[in-house]
Amino acid sequence: MPETQNLYTLITGASSGIGRAIAERLSEKRHLILHGRDLQRLEACRSHCAHPEMHLLWMHDFCDLEGLAPSLTKLLAETDIAVDCLVHSAAVLTLLPVRAVTHAAFSKVLDANLVSAAEIVSLLVKRRVNRQQLKNVLFISSIASNFGAPGFSMYIASKSGLDGLMRALAVELGPGVRVNSILPGGIRTPMTTSLLEDREVVDKLARDYPLGLGEMGDIVDAAEFLTSESSRWITGQQFVVDGGRSINISI
Amino acid sequence: MELTNRRYLVTGAASGIGRATSVLLSGLGATLACVDLDQSGLRETGSLLVGQGHVFRTLDLLDLSSIPGWISGIAEEFGKLHGFVHAAGAPAPWPLKALSPPLWRRVLTVNTEAAMILSQAFQKRSIFAGEHGSIVFISSVIARAGSPAATAYAMTKAALEGFARSVALELARVPIRVNCVAPGFVQTPMLERMDALWGPEQLERVEALHPLGFGRAYDIACAVAFLLADTARWITGSVLVVDGGYTAQ
Repeated sequence: MPETQNLYTLITGASSGIGRAIAERLSEKRHLILHGRDLQRLEACRSHCAHPEMHLLWMHDFCDLEGLAPSLTKLLAETDIAVDCLVHSAAVLTLLPVRAVTHAAFSKVLDANLVSAAEIVSLLVKRRVNRQQLKNVLFISSIASNFGAPGFSMYIASKSGLDGLMRALAVELGPGVRVNSILPGGIRTPMTTSLLEDREVVDKLARDYPLGLGEMGDIVDAAEFLTSESSRWITGQQFVVDGGRSINISI
Repeated sequence: MELTNRRYLVTGAASGIGRATSVLLSGLGATLACVDLDQSGLRETGSLLVGQGHVFRTLDLLDLSSIPGWISGIAEEFGKLHGFVHAAGAPAPWPLKALSPPLWRRVLTVNTEAAMILSQAFQKRSIFAGEHGSIVFISSVIARAGSPAATAYAMTKAALEGFARSVALELARVPIRVNCVAPGFVQTPMLERMDALWGPEQLERVEALHPLGFGRAYDIACAVAFLLADTARWITGSVLVVDGGYTAQ
């Protein structure tokens, strides 16, 4: 079979939110590996994709970091495919005031959001596992990466770490591999639903966001751009998609 | 990145990034008003454009007071604009000891003040088409990184980015989005002039600092198109760095 037929885009966190929305868009033109923790939701995602039969499922909980590499290696070996593009959208949002933060809680967040990304990239640049096919890496980070907010210390540390990892990888793996992050602002997803139930929060967001709250489609368009040839000279960058929130210090 | 039936003004369209942007935008369906000081360069850009209805104007951005008049004339003849791209720029490769106010003020006028006057003129109801509003300024990685003998240039680009952020907030309610693209070292006539100043060894060293090597004007054009189109409908006040990883290391 020609090489390109065996090249897949791996999307972590594809069972919901931004990961799922990106999967549905990219499914039109690519083979996908849809990653998540919940088989039912993964299958629901696949059924909403274009050409469902073209895509594979990979279930693994990133709390189990030790088992990640063997699990993904097995999938690639059994199917004889390689991954040329990684979109890392899996993340947990755990809010805790800093006085209640524990090592165990912090580790869970870091493992799921940050170390998992490093593990996967490390695996995908191993010649015997992925035949040097990796070309493009995209992390779904957050504008929180560059700011602070009460209760968000673990989450922000993980996203800031993710962007640091992104820059290090861009420099180390260039020119063969491009690595970038998208930093979304506040949008409605399953992860942010409970936050957005609070009326006061929603009102503040409307004031803080010059272009109002965003939608998943806004992030998907940016993801499509950054994983296409139109962005072939962009690497090592935080790509902010936030309706102007980050630059808004007006009263 | 669909731009059918959209109309944009592009300054600096006679060469380099302005030319590559004009060509790409025309290919995506946009109709363009191309502006530059260089008449023969404009003509050549014209021969590369796809589609009908484009207009060309030989104009000097140093004459700030004339800008509202000619952009008004363009809107009347050509149709109201959905946005503009300020790709015109003058280099300023002078070491500190060679700087003088008259020298840097010309560069400031073309690089920064023209963008301010264009923005002010553009948002008028007689010029702006009323929807899909998007402004893109071509900045430079030099706005936030540093380089010897680039002091005046860096000043004009940093000022441009600062202006862009605040004007993005002012125009957000319309909405008209305002963003910058910050190129790294791109193969254009402006870079060729630096090449003559640096010599091949220095040029090689600079290229080695880019994880992805030097870029092409087309790479910048793609980023501009992304920001003009609805693909960036929720992006404003941002600086999109397109530099082959230069500022990442």
